[in-house]
Amino acid sequence: MLFNRSLPAPARPSSITTLDGSDSEYVDNYKYLGVWLDCKLSFQTHIKHLQSKIKSRISFLFCNKASFTYAAKHTLVKLTPSITVPSVLSPKPHILPTTACQSEQHLGQYYTVPPSHFHTVFPHGLPPRYQQQVKTFNEGCVMVRQPALELISHLKRADYSKPTLRYLLYGVKGSGKTMSLCHTVHYCSTQGWLVLHIPDAHLWVKNCKELLPSSYHASRFDQPIQASNWLRNFRTTNEHFLSKIKLRQRYVWTKRESTEEGRPLGELVDMGVSRVKSSSDVVGAVLKELRLQAGGTEGGFRLAVAVDGVNGLWGRTTLKKEDKSPVAPEELTLVHNLRKMINNDWCGGAVIATLSQTGSLYAPSSAYLPQELLGEEGFDSMDPFVPVPVSLYSEKEFESCYLYYLDRHWLQHPHSQTEEGKKELIFLSNRNPSVLERLCAFL
Amino acid sequence: MAASLTGLLKPWTPRVLLVRWSRYNPYYLEPEPRKEVYHIPETELTPEQKEERELKSVRPIKAATNSVTSSVFNDPVLSKFVNMMMKDGDKIIAKGIITQTLENMKRKQVEKYHKAPEGKKAETECNPYAIFHQALENCKPVIGLASIQKGGKFYQVPIPLTDDRRRFLAMKWMITECRDNKHRRTLMYEKLSQELLAAFSKEGNVVKRKHELHKMAESNRAYAHYRWW
Repeated sequence: MLFNRSLPAPARPSSITTLDGSDSEYVDNYKYLGVWLDCKLSFQTHIKHLQSKIKSRISFLFCNKASFTYAAKHTLVKLTPSITVPSVLSPKPHILPTTACQSEQHLGQYYTVPPSHFHTVFPHGLPPRYQQQVKTFNEGCVMVRQPALELISHLKRADYSKPTLRYLLYGVKGSGKTMSLCHTVHYCSTQGWLVLHIPDAHLWVKNCKELLPSSYHASRFDQPIQASNWLRNFRTTNEHFLSKIKLRQRYVWTKRESTEEGRPLGELVDMGVSRVKSSSDVVGAVLKELRLQAGGTEGGFRLAVAVDGVNGLWGRTTLKKEDKSPVAPEELTLVHNLRKMINNDWCGGAVIATLSQTGSLYAPSSAYLPQELLGEEGFDSMDPFVPVPVSLYSEKEFESCYLYYLDRHWLQHPHSQTEEGKKELIFLSNRNPSVLERLCAFL
Repeated sequence: MAASLTGLLKPWTPRVLLVRWSRYNPYYLEPEPRKEVYHIPETELTPEQKEERELKSVRPIKAATNSVTSSVFNDPVLSKFVNMMMKDGDKIIAKGIITQTLENMKRKQVEKYHKAPEGKKAETECNPYAIFHQALENCKPVIGLASIQKGGKFYQVPIPLTDDRRRFLAMKWMITECRDNKHRRTLMYEKLSQELLAAFSKEGNVVKRKHELHKMAESNRAYAHYRWW
C-alpha cells in the first residue's frame, strides 16, 4: 500500500518484490488494529464499513417501520444520520404512484386521491363522515387494505369474455366496506372503465315522497326524484363516455317524444334529468344499453357496477301504496332494472357489491353475514359470488391510522399522544375503523 | 350496605335501589379512581400514604359515581359542564352535545390551520380542550354583586367571589346565552362552539356580560363598606 495525501492518486507499481525475492501483494484498503486504512489516509473506508455493519444489524427495524411509534422512529433516525431511508419519519401519506401500481408492500399505507378526482369520480358514494374529513384535512387519503387489493387483483386477472363475476364485500358494522368499494371504484375509474356507482340501494326502498305508477308497466311504481338525482351524478362521473356510446334501439317516451337509434347516450341521460317524470324508465334504458354494449369488441369498454347496500334490493320496503298495502321491492322500476343488472347474463365487466346493515330495513343490528342480510331470495340471485371479507384494523393498520391522525394534527388531546392514551384508544375502539374515527374526533 | 337489604324487602319494593346515597356516614372514605396511585411500589410510599393505605383496608369506602373514570381523558371541569347542561338526568344527550361541540371546534380550527400560510400555523390553537378552558377563564368574573339590605332599602354591593362560584357563573352564562339568544333552528353544539370560540378570542356576548358585571361593581364601589364579612 502506498500512502499519499496529495490529490492525484499515485501510479500503481507493476510489482513489488521483497528483499528475499517473493512478491508482495498491492492493496488499496487494509484493516489494521481495528481501523480500515486507505491510500489517502482518510476515514472514508472505515465509515463505509461501519455503515454496512449497522445496516445489516438494524435492517429488520426499517422493514418493520410501520409498527413503531413516532418517538421510536425519531430516535432511530437520530442515531443513524448517514443512512438515508426515505419516509421512515414521515407518517405523511406517500403519494403512491397510481392505484394500478399498488401491491402487497403498500399494505397499511395511505395514498392520496387527487383533488380533481373527487368531483368527477365521487359526486356521491363516499361515507358522509369521510367527506367531512376530506374537507377538514384539505386532502383525501385512503388506506390501502387487504380487501381492496384482493378485489383489484381479481379485476386485473379476470377473463372479460366470460359472464360477469359478482364480488361481495361483507363485514361487521364500521369495518370499512364502503371505503374498500370506493377504492376499487377509483381504480376502475383510473383504468378507464365505465363506472355505475349506486351509493346506497336502501335509499331507493325507503323515504320516497313521490311514488308514481309506471307508464311502461301497469303494476310497477316509478321514483322520479331518486332516479333523476342518480342520473345527474352518473352524468358527472362518466362525461367522456356519454358521447361515444350510441343507442341500439329506438325508445318512445310519449306520443310526441322519442329517442332514435344511433343517438349518443348523453342525449338520453340529459332527457332523463330534465324530464323528471320518465327518469326511472330512462334509468332502465341506460342500464339495458350498457349491458348490451359492455363486452363489445369494437369500441368496447369495461363496465363496473358498484352497488353499496345491495341487500336492500331483496327484502321489504317501507313504502306503501294508496290503499296502505306494502310495496314489494320488485314492484319498483329502479329495483327491477338494477336486479337485471346484477344478474350474470352479460359479459365485459364486473359487479362489486357491499352488504350494509346500517341503512337496512327490518334487519337485526347484529347481522352481517351474506346469508343473514341477503335473505333466501337475495342469496339465490347473487349465488355464485366471490365473497371478500372485510375485517377490523390489524395492528399495523391501526398504527398507520394513528400516525396519520397525528400527522394531520387531528389528535389534539395531550394524553392521546402518549402510550397510555393509545392503549386506551385500542381498548375503547377494539380497532374498529369507524369507532376509532368517532373517538378521535373529539380527542 | 343496600345490597344486603334486598333479601329482606317486600315484593312491591323496586329491586334496583340507589347504592350511592348522598348522605353517607362520615365513617366512609372516598374512592380513589386514579391508576397512578396504585402503581407506586411499597418502598416509595411516604408515611402519610402508608397510613392512608392501612386506613383503607379497615374502613368501608363509598361507591364511585358513574361519572368518575380512571381514563386518561377524564376532565373534571368538562364533567361539571356536562352536568350543568343536563336536563332531566339525561347525561347521554348532554355528553353527546359536548363531544359534538369539541369535534366541531376542532374541525373549524384544523381547517383554518391547514389553509393558513406557514407563518400563521403556529398561532392557530387546534386543541378543543385548551380552547374550552381558556374560553371559560375569559368568561369568569373577578368580582360579583350581592343584594344587601340596609335601612329598608336593598343595595347591590360588590363582593369577592370564590373560585367555585366564578366557575359556576361562567358556565351558567355560557349555557343560558346559547339556549336563549341564538337562532331557533341552529343546533346546540353549533351555538356552543361559536360562543366558545368567540370567548376564546375575548369577543362574544358572554364576555360582554362579564364586563358589564365588572362595570356595575365598579360603579357601586361606594357601597362596598356595607359588606360585613
